[in-house]
Amino acid sequence: MLIPCPYCGPRDLSEFTYQGDANRTRPNPMSNDQSAWNAYVYERVNTAGDHREFWQHSGGCRAHLAVVRSTLTHEIKSVAFAREVAK
Amino acid sequence: MSPRRAHNGGRIDRSTTLRFTFDGTAMTGHAGDTLASALLANGISVVGRSFKYHRPRGVFSAGIEEPNALVTVIKGKLREPNIPATQIELYDGLAVESQNRFPSLAFDFGAANGLAGNLFAAGFYYKTFMGPVAGPLKGTRFWMFCEHFIRRAAGLGRAGHEPDTDRYEKMYGFCDVLVVGSGPSGLMAAKHAAATGKKVFLAEQEPEFGGSLRWKSAAIDGRPAADWVAATLADLAALPNVTLLPRTTVWGYYDDNALGALERVADHKAHAALGEPRQRHWTIRAKDVVLATGAFERPIVFPGNDRPGIMLAAAAARYATEFGVLPGERIAIFANNDSAYEAALALKDAGAEIAAIIDVRAGVSIAARELAREAGGELLLGYAVTNTSGARRLREIEVQAFADGKVKDGATRAFAVDCLAVSGGWSPAIHLASQAGHAPQWDEALQAFLPPAPTQPWTGAGAFTGAYSTSAALGDDIAVSEPEIEYEPAPVFEIRPTGKKSGKAFVDLQHDVTASDIRLAHREGFQSVEHLKRYTTLGMATDQGKSSNVPGLAIMAAARGLPIPEVGTTRFRPPFSAVSLGALAADRHGHFKPERLTPMHDWHVARGARMYAAGLWYRPMIYGTGGETVEQAYVREAKAVRASVGIVDVSTLGKIAVQGPDAAELLDRVYTNLFSTLPVDKARYGLMLREEGIAFDDGTTWRLGEHDFLMTTTTANAGKVMQHLEHYLDCVWPDLRVHVTSVTDEWAGAAVAGPNARHVLEACVEGTAVDNDALPFMGIVRGEIAGAPVMICRLSFSGELAYEVYCGAGHGQHVWDALMNAGQQFDIVPYGLEALGTLRIEKGHVTGAEIDGRTSPRDLYLDWMLSKKKPYVGSAMVDREGLVAADRVRLVGIVALEDRPLQGGAHIVERLGEEPRGSIGHITAFCFSPALGKYIALALVKGGKARHGQRAFVSDPVRNRYGPVEIVSHHFFDPEGSRMHG
Amino acid sequence: MVEIVSPLEPDYHRGAHGNRDGGSAVTLSETQPGSIVQLAAWPGQDGAMRALVKTVTGLDLDAAPGAGAVDESSAAFGFAPGRWLVVDQIEGLAETLREKIGNDLGTVCDLSHGRTAIAVEGEKAERLLSKFYALDFSLAAFPVATAKSTAHHDVFTLIQRTGADRFDLYVYRSFARSFWHLLCASAEEFGYTVE
Repeated sequence: MLIPCPYCGPRDLSEFTYQGDANRTRPNPMSNDQSAWNAYVYERVNTAGDHREFWQHSGGCRAHLAVVRSTLTHEIKSVAFAREVAK
Repeated sequence: MSPRRAHNGGRIDRSTTLRFTFDGTAMTGHAGDTLASALLANGISVVGRSFKYHRPRGVFSAGIEEPNALVTVIKGKLREPNIPATQIELYDGLAVESQNRFPSLAFDFGAANGLAGNLFAAGFYYKTFMGPVAGPLKGTRFWMFCEHFIRRAAGLGRAGHEPDTDRYEKMYGFCDVLVVGSGPSGLMAAKHAAATGKKVFLAEQEPEFGGSLRWKSAAIDGRPAADWVAATLADLAALPNVTLLPRTTVWGYYDDNALGALERVADHKAHAALGEPRQRHWTIRAKDVVLATGAFERPIVFPGNDRPGIMLAAAAARYATEFGVLPGERIAIFANNDSAYEAALALKDAGAEIAAIIDVRAGVSIAARELAREAGGELLLGYAVTNTSGARRLREIEVQAFADGKVKDGATRAFAVDCLAVSGGWSPAIHLASQAGHAPQWDEALQAFLPPAPTQPWTGAGAFTGAYSTSAALGDDIAVSEPEIEYEPAPVFEIRPTGKKSGKAFVDLQHDVTASDIRLAHREGFQSVEHLKRYTTLGMATDQGKSSNVPGLAIMAAARGLPIPEVGTTRFRPPFSAVSLGALAADRHGHFKPERLTPMHDWHVARGARMYAAGLWYRPMIYGTGGETVEQAYVREAKAVRASVGIVDVSTLGKIAVQGPDAAELLDRVYTNLFSTLPVDKARYGLMLREEGIAFDDGTTWRLGEHDFLMTTTTANAGKVMQHLEHYLDCVWPDLRVHVTSVTDEWAGAAVAGPNARHVLEACVEGTAVDNDALPFMGIVRGEIAGAPVMICRLSFSGELAYEVYCGAGHGQHVWDALMNAGQQFDIVPYGLEALGTLRIEKGHVTGAEIDGRTSPRDLYLDWMLSKKKPYVGSAMVDREGLVAADRVRLVGIVALEDRPLQGGAHIVERLGEEPRGSIGHITAFCFSPALGKYIALALVKGGKARHGQRAFVSDPVRNRYGPVEIVSHHFFDPEGSRMHG
Repeated sequence: MVEIVSPLEPDYHRGAHGNRDGGSAVTLSETQPGSIVQLAAWPGQDGAMRALVKTVTGLDLDAAPGAGAVDESSAAFGFAPGRWLVVDQIEGLAETLREKIGNDLGTVCDLSHGRTAIAVEGEKAERLLSKFYALDFSLAAFPVATAKSTAHHDVFTLIQRTGADRFDLYVYRSFARSFWHLLCASAEEFGYTVE
């Protein structure tokens, strides 16, 4: 599998680290809503199809990427710097 | 009669004689021979014993699909089993052994299995070795008991026990077009792509390029096919944009057109050249792929079809034409298609006598009739081979009339032959296409699965697409002269004589799966292809059923009364053919695997340090001074630290530069305690949690400037902490202006600890004072040691007065030497990980053994570090019900009440009877404490502090260590910390 | 100044090695620059940071990812979003940059001790590096002066192409010796010279 890093270009999967589901939103740090924190820490959607996820180009520029990948075909639908998506 | 070398012909170099041994017997062959062709040339008929029945087997094919002729190659002490003799190039000094025979190939005890008849039918093992429902060998225990003996009797070659000393390497290749296969269509594809200037890789699994053109009779552009191949290859080789890869098997097709390939660089040599790997594993990224992988000939299933001397027709022709070897003197052909007629003529031309051509079809093409006439021998149309005989080698075949898919009752005819060349049609080699495509499509006319629609950018060419003729492979622009035969076979896969008891008819020769096994599977309900495969093991041997899959499927289809495509086919998975583990591991294994060394590594080794692998790092465990045990050494080192002064290399600690105006804010968010209040030139101990409130890592962080921090992490978690910070900065708090950079390798670190530590620094540090005022606990100063800039922080892991001295890594040894010199008057002692561990256990400091991914800060009595003033990663969940439960295991100290060592992982139990009961926790770290004069340990025990003073027991069944212990505070030594503040 | 000790030292054997049939197809050397410095810009400050590099070193960097520049005594290249490596034969470059950078541009991180610089040069340089990295080293895919961040197993590496057949590699110091062993062993089949 190749992931097209916006900085480095298409690179081999072996250079990347999976960094988790990108569909989650971290609750407000002051929040004591345990169900919201539970959802953030433990609950995952396990999509069969297009899935938003973080990949770090750990063996490259080290940027975290927000990737939309089909879990059925491994096709990468979109890639952006996580910093830009998180803003 | 035996196979023999033909008097002339072939592409072997008859002027070069190569010596080799087979089961210790010396033989010779020629350059250009494979082991298989050389064995045939030496008259060897039986090359192995079959998997279950130990039947004698001979060479069956001439290629990678070989099911029978598997041998073990011996190089020195190394044994590589299960290599097809057809894939071994002969070299001078080659030594091989046959397999699965005891005591010898000629006389085999296991052949008695054959006499046991249907005992070994499909599912035999499952049914027989289920064991009784009760008793010591109930159920699968019986199987486990018997398995050892069965595996010894049934099986393939035996692997060696010596470590593999060969060199393997990896290579990444990038090209515009990868052409897989160098037969006529592959060569044309490479030629066309190269002409457009594209970067082309041409991979051929055999040593020579040309594929079928190396043995087919076709003439191209008016000259022999082999001459055309040579000219085309010379053209390709001269182009700078073409890379030729002989002996390279493309074995896997992965996402984004990445293909795995194995190049056998030196397998065909007695010794690899200097620096040359034995095998090179390629990962090839190709923009486009041309699959020109050809087709495999299929056998026909009939009683007695496994006798040595029976082989695929095209293979027989190839031995005659390419290797100048006659597989028999008097040969019969048995076919359901025209292609075998070409083989008949090739064999005749090489000097064999064609006794008969037996064809299940009632009528054949004019071209085939013409070929039959030229080849000589009787042409029996509408006939089939119904039995064979011959003890160690084929002597005779029986033939009966055949029509409408059935053997006709009536007279049999016998032919005395020593070779039977069989062709049951062709199956395109769609393995790679299946890995990168949809389901393959059945073609009724060709009676074969054709390549599926691609899911990746590849195209097919030649026989791979079902276009079997040379002219179709080369295209319209090239004049080809070849017989106009018809490749469409009659839909006949199995010959089942009626009425009489007939011999076994094998479908999968390598795993000894017979036609009746398939029908048994059908009767017992294992009818889907996937069940059939697993129940009978059809197609699961090292050849992966390259020649047996389609006949097996056809027999199941017939049993179910369905057309073949409705029964389906299994998906081909990588690897296409065997790939050695050595090639996959390559430099990840052995002495080229990556390792990390500190700047003082060579000094440690020179001082007799026993080095210990900590992740990829190497750290001194103890410094051995002749004759000491490990315990004696670390006790000596730890004592010296408490008595005077010691020095330890701490360069492996993870170090991260945290820089920027929001650096303090980031630290406040990731550590449980506050860092924004830390003054410049001060350090603070910090604890990090994961989001779920579990302890993650600890370490000190130094404030070097308003916006400039140096974070230290444990050695093991350096990479994880770095990723943790990067993840939050990129994905959660992109607004923070902070840069993090790994500077682990920038700094060498030495910890100087002990009552005399300050005196050592005073003796060598310049440019700064190091007294208590200038350098209080957790203070930082900068100065020089022996001219090298250093940064010194007063902090303690050992509980003694201690300093960490950091300098540029390239100055590490220089500074270390200066510290050793300065320490000489105080008898400074270098200490290793064992002493370091001992000192910290005595102090009750936690490390990765306690921060094990399951413990919360409360479990470790680190609640005092949990700030109430701010949120931090983990703060929302650290107070969850489960993490504050009363029965959690918490940190305690353990003292052995007998003078015997404790061990990590041992259980702490409440009762110690005949069977220890009631585990309340386990030991995480242990040592002999020189300070206490006892064996002590840290442990995680239910109840923690509440158990202080209680008696319990250690239970360590693995190491047979039981005995009484006392649970105490984990602060064994100097709990007030007076020594380090002194 | 105290001399910086090379991590390769005990295993750095100058001279010709390996298969001598075809001479030396690659030359390996540790370049030991005086300064290896990372610059990291705050968002929006990329242009200003490149201007700073130009002021201090005279090297002209364009805005493309991985863009770099080389002259006789220095080199600079981008290796990650908003990050550059600046390398100079002169020691103390980090101090010079720190003085000029101010608070709003970004940060300076001195890596002069922490990274080991190894040059791989010669007709087989591309082939040699293809043994370790999943990168296309052809000139078209990897032009002169540009750089890439990559890794061989755990050995994180920054690679700048400093000539048609020359690459400068920056690896973590602690890994340098084991990587050097692998580099030399892998070059054995071509024949190599250590300079």
